[in-house]
Amino acid sequence: MPTPEVNAGLPAAAPPPPEVARAVHRAWQIAALFCAVVVMVLVAVHELARHDDPLKSPQLAALKAQLLVEPQNEALKEQIRALDLRLRRRHAWLLAVYRDGAWLLAGAAVALVVLGKLHARWHAELPRPRPRPDAAERYARATHRARALAAGVGALALAALGWLSLSARSPVPTDPAALEKWLARLPGGTPGETAAADLPDPAEYAANWPRFLGPTGNPRVTNLALALKFDLATGAGLRWKTPLDAPGFNSPLIWSNRVFLSGGDAGLRRVFAFDLASGRLAWERAVTNVPGSPARLPEVPESTGFAASTMATDGRRVYVLFANGDLAAFTLDGAPVWAKNLGAPHNPYGHATSLVTWRDRLLVQYDQGEPEENLSRLYALEGATGRVLWQKNRPVGASWASPVVFEAAGKPQIGTLGGDFVIAYHAAEGTELWRARLLSGEITPSPHFAAGRFLGVSPGDRLFALRPDGTGDVTKSHLVWETDDLVPDITSPVSDDAHVFTVLSHGVVGCHDLQTGKLVWEHELDFEVNASPALVGERLYVFGTKGAVAVLAAGPAARELARLDLGEGVYASPALAQGVMVVRTVQTLFCVGPDTAPALEAKRP
Amino acid sequence: MKLTRFSALLLLVVRGLLAGVSGPVRAGESELRFPPPEFESDYVMPPGITTPPPRGVVREYADLAVLLGALGVAAWLVHRRRSRRGLAALSIFSLVYFGFIRHGCICPIGAPQNVAYGLFTPEYTLPLTVLLFFLAPLVFALFAGRTFCAAVCPHGALQDLVLLRPVKVPLWVEQGLAPLPYLFLGAGLVLAATGAGFLICRWDPFVPLFRMSGSFLMLSLGGVFVVASMFIGRPFCRFLCPYGALLRLAALVSRWRVRITPTTCTQCRLCEHSCPFGAIREPVNLPATPAALAPERRRLGWLLVAVPLLVALGAWVGPRVAVPAARLHPNVALLERYVAEHAARAETASAASATSSTAAATPVASPAPPGAGAAAVPAAPTPESRALVRAELEVSRLVAQAAELRRRLTTAGAWLGGWVGLVLGLRLVTLSVRTARTDFEPDRGACLACGRCYLSCPNERLRRGLISPEEAARLTAAPPLAAARGGA
Repeated sequence: MPTPEVNAGLPAAAPPPPEVARAVHRAWQIAALFCAVVVMVLVAVHELARHDDPLKSPQLAALKAQLLVEPQNEALKEQIRALDLRLRRRHAWLLAVYRDGAWLLAGAAVALVVLGKLHARWHAELPRPRPRPDAAERYARATHRARALAAGVGALALAALGWLSLSARSPVPTDPAALEKWLARLPGGTPGETAAADLPDPAEYAANWPRFLGPTGNPRVTNLALALKFDLATGAGLRWKTPLDAPGFNSPLIWSNRVFLSGGDAGLRRVFAFDLASGRLAWERAVTNVPGSPARLPEVPESTGFAASTMATDGRRVYVLFANGDLAAFTLDGAPVWAKNLGAPHNPYGHATSLVTWRDRLLVQYDQGEPEENLSRLYALEGATGRVLWQKNRPVGASWASPVVFEAAGKPQIGTLGGDFVIAYHAAEGTELWRARLLSGEITPSPHFAAGRFLGVSPGDRLFALRPDGTGDVTKSHLVWETDDLVPDITSPVSDDAHVFTVLSHGVVGCHDLQTGKLVWEHELDFEVNASPALVGERLYVFGTKGAVAVLAAGPAARELARLDLGEGVYASPALAQGVMVVRTVQTLFCVGPDTAPALEAKRP
Repeated sequence: MKLTRFSALLLLVVRGLLAGVSGPVRAGESELRFPPPEFESDYVMPPGITTPPPRGVVREYADLAVLLGALGVAAWLVHRRRSRRGLAALSIFSLVYFGFIRHGCICPIGAPQNVAYGLFTPEYTLPLTVLLFFLAPLVFALFAGRTFCAAVCPHGALQDLVLLRPVKVPLWVEQGLAPLPYLFLGAGLVLAATGAGFLICRWDPFVPLFRMSGSFLMLSLGGVFVVASMFIGRPFCRFLCPYGALLRLAALVSRWRVRITPTTCTQCRLCEHSCPFGAIREPVNLPATPAALAPERRRLGWLLVAVPLLVALGAWVGPRVAVPAARLHPNVALLERYVAEHAARAETASAASATSSTAAATPVASPAPPGAGAAAVPAAPTPESRALVRAELEVSRLVAQAAELRRRLTTAGAWLGGWVGLVLGLRLVTLSVRTARTDFEPDRGACLACGRCYLSCPNERLRRGLISPEEAARLTAAPPLAAARGGA
């Protein structure tokens, strides 16, 4: 027989004194007990506290749901804050318990292992090999059992796969046809989105004036023959006129039988709806107590005011944005839907970019500050609820141009101007499609899409046309033409099928070839212009800041058809829909129709 | 009430127990951990730095250098020094460095997934360091056996170092469960290649321990493995490790194999129980009589026929798990949770509208005109809907992603099912092939090269001068030897 001293797997350890061995054994037992206690305590703490997750607290969720119903309930807000803080503190405390417990456990485990190894080494059983003559039999038996076990493992694996395939239910269908049907039922593919059937069809959208500069962002109508001359003072040529008590430079909208506009100052900001047929005020709503609205209003120059942004509608709701960041939605009948604050914009001249809708979404270009401050955003909000569906950081500072939504290269695109960049985003997803570094200065004129070209303006610098089918930086690759002749500084250009018309603020009108950008003609007006011109059939309407109106022929040669004087300055662009033109002057809202029916002085209700 | 009181008391006791170690809990910590409460402000966290710092790349190369150095040292300790003590010291180093300092990442165990993902995903560029982490232990295994498992793998080191009283796992269990690592490897590779997720990393029981952080389930699993490792030698390495499955294959054909004895086997049987991992095989010489061979040949024939059938069965079942497998992808999981929650809310809303026609108050203070209709009150956001919004994802996009993933998993599931059938079939075949052994020697694939068996061999002890030639001769001439020879 081999001697134990020689045959031990490890060098034989000298046996310790009995009292040391006993102490080590006792310490090992204590370490094991301590580990077990710490583990049990941690498990117990986990079990007792796992429902206290601040992000999943049902109590907090209930209070937040209640807050949506009572957004002005300050006591409720305080209650939420207090509960939130309590839950967070408790959670932090728990994390500390876990952390400390883990360290304690780790220390005790190391002690357990070291002491255990000592104990095992001192009490190691030395090998005592015995003859085992049945190796072949044992091997055969082992392989037989191993085969059975392997087969069992295989059967178990297959059974597990089968069980998984049969038991796994997904709320999202797997069959492609069913998936397509399911997707169609899903409201627009976004959370809580209005059902597609609830939205107006594109023809209805195009027949109205749902946003600044019309449905396409190009203020042009072809199926309208307005009275050439009209007189605001006498009412000649007007359908109606209504005195306006609404400070603001935003332009009116037309949807169905309603005209919408907003007005406001530091004291009160309101939304107005007028009857398109009579000019009577249908309703007005004040936008107050908006959750998150800053207590201190931003400083806004009078030249911009608090209501420079034109409203927008998707045909089901109207949306309004004021210079303090208050954003609100109302039904067409004036029922408030939601309101929120986007944060007071850091804009030296006040926020003036207008709202735009696409399908059931509200798009808000919220450029502000300096580019390096990373404050500018493009938001897509769910029209029905005001929830932000997506938002994109924009590498630009404050700007004043409004975005345009158009379909090109098989994609719905949002074209934006701001800072140094023209940037196009995918309207559905918000992903950036392309950008071009073509801008400089303070970007005010809005872009539009005409004849397959994206037309934009860098104020006083260049008017340019881009092919909107690129990706990445298209500054050089997709620039079709650019010109520095008669580039507008405030007003937005307008196009027909052959020309682009520009109006400079000091009253010079330019006509450019749409395909080449070359200047076709120019015409000098003797009045200042801030409102973007509008193209009605073959006539170009230009409204001056002192009330002068020039009607020019939108043809290959400069020709002034009429010159009018409203007596009141115009800063807003006209709305052209439902067979009429609605113009907002500083103090009056009036409607020009195709006929010359007797003027009607609307009375305020 | 009682429970609350009890829990409060228990928490108090725990806090008191731990107070000395933890110190005061900073109140500020609670504010920093979560975004502030949202009152319709659409607060957006400022964008974080997404570009990895340059130091991260340097550290990866440093890790690679450490790995190569450790593999070299391990190979030297296994084959030249034949030092268990040296390997134990290297294990401690690996556990501390790769485990607790580098938190088990990057590690060769998960690297096969990166390779598979890189091969099937054009937009993913496999980092060179990850590729080398994957290849280096395999190349070493081709030459020197499983030196990575010996003392470089932190997972193995942890299990090895906590081993107290190893229980011998019967050979049939060892061999019957041998397919498990291959199944785990196949599942991990398929899921990674399709982009569903990194299963091996997600179900790694030791990384949460290295990081001292993780879900309750994974921490518990890690704890169970550690406790099991005190009594069963390296259970994860032997019965689950997917990278070990690859190393096992490489070690089968390795240039240098681990040898118990430095010279010749004396068949003294002293090494028989020295391996806590059951990797030492005893000599076996099965009878080769026609009566014994005939049934074995028949069985082998049947099993060879069964292999393609098993592959076909697996390939038929595999695609059917595409739906649950796709759920491993966080976006698909989010989609399913969102849709379920959306459906539940829609149901609740319709039930509510059916029972009550009065709507809630409007959020804007300005009063609505009578009869103007109720305004819709937005529903309170849920974690799922918030996650969608914050991730800037849309349901339609997620659905398209889920459909594409399911399509890929349907194809890949057939491969995985076929792989399962192949592994099991081949295992049954190899268990039916005769083996002949004349000496006690380590199983080349199963041997983890831990070096525990070296000193149990009298010849090794003689080589080291621990015993005299006379003692060695007495040992080799001992009765067990003769008995063993006779028995074989």
